[in-house]
Amino acid sequence: MIGLVSYLVFFLILSLIFGVAVLGLNLQWGFTGLFNAGVAGFTAIGAYTMAILTGPSRDAVFGGFELPFVAGLVGAMIASGISAVIVGLATLKLRHEYLAVATFGIAVTIQLVCLNWEYLTGGTLGLIGIPNPSKAWAEGPLAQNALYLLVVLVVVGLTFAALERIVKSPWGRMLKAIREDEIAASSLGKSPERVRLEAFVLGCMIMGLSGALYVSFIGYVSPWDFLPILTFQIWTMLIVGGSANNRGALLGALIVWGVWTTSGFVISRIVPSEIQAQGGAMQAVLIGFILVVTLLVRPRGLIGEELYVSRHARS
Amino acid sequence: MFRKLGLAAFAVAFGTAAYAVDCPIKLGAILPVSGPMGQVGERIAETGLFAVEQFNEAGGVQGCPVEYVLRDTQGQSAVGVDAAKSLVDLDGVQALIGAVSSGVSLPVLTSVAVPSKVVQVSCCSSSESFTALAEEGKTEGYWFRTYATNRSQSAMGAKLVTDSGFERTAVIYVNTDFGVGLARRFEQDIAKLGGSITAMVAYNESQQSYRAEVTKALEGSPDSLYLVAFPVDGATITREWLALGGTDNLIVNNSLRSDDYFQAVGSQYLQNMQGYDSAQPRLPSVDSFNEMFEVRFDNPPNGPGLHSVYDAVTVVLLAMEASGDITGDSIRDNIRLVTSPDGIEVFPGPDGIARAKALLSEGKTIRYVGATGALAFDENGDVQAPKMTWKLDGDENVETGYLSTAEVAELIKMLDE
Repeated sequence: MIGLVSYLVFFLILSLIFGVAVLGLNLQWGFTGLFNAGVAGFTAIGAYTMAILTGPSRDAVFGGFELPFVAGLVGAMIASGISAVIVGLATLKLRHEYLAVATFGIAVTIQLVCLNWEYLTGGTLGLIGIPNPSKAWAEGPLAQNALYLLVVLVVVGLTFAALERIVKSPWGRMLKAIREDEIAASSLGKSPERVRLEAFVLGCMIMGLSGALYVSFIGYVSPWDFLPILTFQIWTMLIVGGSANNRGALLGALIVWGVWTTSGFVISRIVPSEIQAQGGAMQAVLIGFILVVTLLVRPRGLIGEELYVSRHARS
Repeated sequence: MFRKLGLAAFAVAFGTAAYAVDCPIKLGAILPVSGPMGQVGERIAETGLFAVEQFNEAGGVQGCPVEYVLRDTQGQSAVGVDAAKSLVDLDGVQALIGAVSSGVSLPVLTSVAVPSKVVQVSCCSSSESFTALAEEGKTEGYWFRTYATNRSQSAMGAKLVTDSGFERTAVIYVNTDFGVGLARRFEQDIAKLGGSITAMVAYNESQQSYRAEVTKALEGSPDSLYLVAFPVDGATITREWLALGGTDNLIVNNSLRSDDYFQAVGSQYLQNMQGYDSAQPRLPSVDSFNEMFEVRFDNPPNGPGLHSVYDAVTVVLLAMEASGDITGDSIRDNIRLVTSPDGIEVFPGPDGIARAKALLSEGKTIRYVGATGALAFDENGDVQAPKMTWKLDGDENVETGYLSTAEVAELIKMLDE
């Protein structure tokens, strides 16, 4: 019983950390229509910034400032925000699949920089010993994880509330207007370029926040955590949960990560041990199958976009 | 006072009674059986199961059959971490075998194994970060690996260079955790042995040409080149190196001891090359493992991690056998007991394990000599393997020297002082 609780806490931490990144992507894709295929890259920037700011100092590697956890989170958001401004200025003229290809390339580049810039990132060896704040406050893995879950819940709660407030504001309606018809929006005197950049940067800052929460929890960061598969997972979570709905984004993170992990558990239980080495392939098939079925039954995701009219416009 | 004694006696009696553990005993394995490492991982996973089957043939652990619970990491750290946590919390395993890549093993260790006080034994992770972590006390002794570390490889390279009288060495190495760790250690070792480095050049895998890297390495006119590479890229680098006038005094890492490499470069250009490799220890235990493996799988145990995963599993199960209550702590401590240097030697296979169990039940300490030879874990959970040196004579790959595990350990001790 305690084992189940302990595992659930752990599961919730990881899926909610993914959920934060999905919320960021939702702002970009769901509300603004920006096809960002470089999620892994911005998560990596947040993750490494966290590791550099809060980690222990090491010879031959930059950083190790041992700053407090919150400073790490803020720093991670600032760093990924700055890189998003640079990337955004360079690429946001591109539309749809062109933007996707460009951002995908940037994410791969960021991963390779992490792999090679040893002085900053520790290269392939990664950075070890990144502190988890809950370890200073609680004893035993369950209590520590429960505390960290609380931290993650607070971060998710704040992010969610802020995003809900934002997308229901005039600025949020402008995002949707631009997503639906850019020319119409600019004919009303709005500046799509500027707004697209703002949404892109804000979304990437949230992805950076997700990366920071991840490294602090795991205690270690390496370039292998930010392969393109991560981008794919975050996208799947958003599409399954429902784009343009923040509740859907979080639900998608829970469901998809749940499918991803429970399929492994199920396979280890039902497949005889002699052929378990082939079970990996079955797990991949199972994941794909469940995702396809979800999308066939609920093509707009589990919770799709809600129609929303300004609260000031109610008669 | 008497009450206390009574309680103690009760505890002892109860302790013995509790010796009968819950059956079956589960052993968790977290390995990449799909994804980029899938092909390697699948064979490793099967060999792990083979070790469990042999242990069960010898009667299992404390009379209980052992159940091998395999979870796939897909080569992804988050998936691996989740699988490990699920094995620990939902299946109640006290020991984990895995993972393969260091990028997965390390997160599992720091976020699952150590906090949950569960032993983790990897067959294959080579990163130096584990040793660094262990030296800082952050593994709390729960980490072991049966893969002989890079430590001895750089030491052997440095020894070959200085024994040959080379004084100015260029280093070209592959930019992975394996290559970087090895090259850094080599830099320290060579200084200790009196040689010097003219250039340290990293290369990224699978490029068409390495002209830029080779040119950079040629600066400072080295009299020898230490090359840490894999066959295809290694051949490209060597050809360009020789074409641009580099010396043919090559010292190569064991990853280049391959006919593909010799043929791609041309053996006639490699007559001054020297190398080292983990020697298959000359022990009957290794041969007997190879034979048993062939009987079971119809092919020889060629491939990374097969010998070492067999030993990882067997050592953990022997440590469980030696434990009263099977907990992560007792496994951690008893791994030392079943690999004790002055213990009675026992060998792999059902007969060997049965003998080991008999000796343990008599309260004797044993020394498991397995598929990778005698395992001797140092305080960081690392092992060493015997080494051999080799060169090419015509097309023939000939052995030029042999260092036993003890000699390798001595060399490393000297270099680390």
